[in-house]
Amino acid sequence: MNGWLLAAAVVLAGGVGATLWGVATGPLRRRVVAQNLSSALACPILLLLSQGYDRPSYVDLALVLALLGPVGTLVFARLLADELAGDPPRAWGATWAAAGVGAGVVLALCAATAPGRATVKLLLTGALLIGGNVVASRALAGGFRGVRRG
Amino acid sequence: MADALIAVALLLVAVSATVAVVTRDPVRQALVLAVLGIVLAVLFTVLQAPDVGLSQLAVGSALTPLLLLLTVRKVRRRAQDRDGGR
Repeated sequence: MNGWLLAAAVVLAGGVGATLWGVATGPLRRRVVAQNLSSALACPILLLLSQGYDRPSYVDLALVLALLGPVGTLVFARLLADELAGDPPRAWGATWAAAGVGAGVVLALCAATAPGRATVKLLLTGALLIGGNVVASRALAGGFRGVRRG
Repeated sequence: MADALIAVALLLVAVSATVAVVTRDPVRQALVLAVLGIVLAVLFTVLQAPDVGLSQLAVGSALTPLLLLLTVRKVRRRAQDRDGGR
């Protein structure tokens, strides 16, 4: 029994399952938040999978997702700005919970791997994940109102 | 353990793909498609095909929603212009 894979399965079934439910039902604002959270949760899952399969090169997937996930959310925030302007989605509790999961996974992996370039890569992925997630949530909540007139 | 992971990922892919088909509004469909792309990338990784997962992530998480939303926007603008012209 591999603990890393078990953790990945739990986060996949619980976290991504919940975001799938959120993106399938409810008003548009809830769906946008759920889409953002799904990318924020899939990144720690990919990190856990890379550790569970003992393949350090799989970290690249998490790095790409940490970079592109917030880009996708920003696409929605920019192109759906008119629909979301009426009542902007605010889900800071869920956002910080997902960021906490990401930070916990990154720190656990840093403790498990030998210090070196892999640790730097992990820390870079974690910083990109949390920073991008917070920026995307702020954009969804209408934090960058001046940008909307682009 | 690996089998359970594959089962969970397959189940999520099946559910999200079904939801993407059932959803009628294109904007909401784009949101579901973004989630489907991410879940598919996780499934490919679980099946030990990270190269396929990498390209799926690049296409599914940002590019497909962008193209869909731009198309929806253009179609709606054209419809508005036509209604305004009458």
